[in-house]
Amino acid sequence: MRRRLVQAAVMLGMVAAISGRGLAHHSAAMFDEKKTITVEGEVKEFQFTNPHSWLLVDVKDKDGKVTTWGFEAEGPSTLARAGIRPSDFKAGTRLKITGNPMKDGRPAAIWVSAVRADGKAFNPRAGFVVR
Amino acid sequence: MTAVEASRILRRMTRHLSFAALGALLVLGAGCRDATRVAEAPGVSSPAGVIPQRTKEQKAALGRQHKTAWDLYQALKAEAKGGQTLAASMMPDWSGVYSRPADKGFTFDPDLPAGVLTTAKLTSEYQAKLEKRVADVKRGIEWDPISTCAPPGHPRWLTEPFLREFVPTSKQTWLINEMVNDVRRVYTDGRDHVPAEDRYPLYNGDSIGFWDGGRLVVHTNQLQGGIYQRSNPDYTDQVETVEIWQREGDTITADVWVYDPPVLAEPWYVKQAYGKLDPKQDLRIRYWNCAENQNNAVHQTQDGTTQFNGFTFDPTAVKK
Repeated sequence: MRRRLVQAAVMLGMVAAISGRGLAHHSAAMFDEKKTITVEGEVKEFQFTNPHSWLLVDVKDKDGKVTTWGFEAEGPSTLARAGIRPSDFKAGTRLKITGNPMKDGRPAAIWVSAVRADGKAFNPRAGFVVR
Repeated sequence: MTAVEASRILRRMTRHLSFAALGALLVLGAGCRDATRVAEAPGVSSPAGVIPQRTKEQKAALGRQHKTAWDLYQALKAEAKGGQTLAASMMPDWSGVYSRPADKGFTFDPDLPAGVLTTAKLTSEYQAKLEKRVADVKRGIEWDPISTCAPPGHPRWLTEPFLREFVPTSKQTWLINEMVNDVRRVYTDGRDHVPAEDRYPLYNGDSIGFWDGGRLVVHTNQLQGGIYQRSNPDYTDQVETVEIWQREGDTITADVWVYDPPVLAEPWYVKQAYGKLDPKQDLRIRYWNCAENQNNAVHQTQDGTTQFNGFTFDPTAVKK
């Protein structure tokens, strides 16, 4: 138990160490890594692609207007290392998702974390940890 | 046939076979005279290497003792008594899927101390370029040349954080980076580099090498310019490297010496390490099509930073 706690602490530390370093392939300069936004909505599509994946989430405002948000993350193998599979986010899945938003106000962000309606949490940035 | 006659025939056949075996060895020896030694011992692991073990400081000093990467490579080859071409049965076991640890970030030198720009001793021109690059990033301006889906190229190849496989065979070794299906081939069959007059810049250059026991010593030239990584220095098409690859427990490591006179005031020594990933994760390297999702397409803006080409999750929400 103690060993598992230590392993978890080490992993969290490593994930913290790589947070804020943006994305491989292209710079994250178009995102504001000092800000975070959190929205609740329904998965429209999970684009599980290289070099980056996009989780598209339909978010409804209080007037019923739907905006599709895009959350960018690493590609399939890095997400797989974070324990994220295509089947985790089927169309229609309800979730709360957090990211660093675009500087220009467009509805997109670097995907930082997500919690599904069933309570399962996901951290796409854990994919760069060697374990 | 009497027993005596049979015995005489048997002795004669044995003598002929011995001469044939000796002849074959002489032919093999003649074939290898100008190449490297061939180590062959079926069913056993790699032979011991003879290049001495050195500390990090000694390795850095070794780089400074040689004016060019080629000089260092030749010195290591002399230490290895010409090196070896290992038979298939003696290849080291580098099987598995590996990756560069995340806590090392994307910097070329994994031992870069916090708050330090680089461990390379740069010429004043390239020190100024690096300082400007880092200052621009602080102002939100950054462009990475691989954003167009170009491969990273070597030596940047060493820093990418994706899946890797290392496949040694007796004539060549494949160093594989999952990203853009990027394979470096190291020829260990005794061939030389391409003649100088036929060289042209390549992303991963031209690599030749030899074995020293379970260690693979590599010289790479014919490279093209690039950056070691974001917020790291540039390198030019004069860059050349010497690497010593080996397995240390569950880690594949590479001692790397970089020579690039326009950029580096002295050779830059770093040690790279790639940890073996847990086989229970069942990770498999797939084909990497960098252009498969147009939402990832970016361009460099007039002020030099990065912007999406215009994804359309919801065009009505785009600010004019």
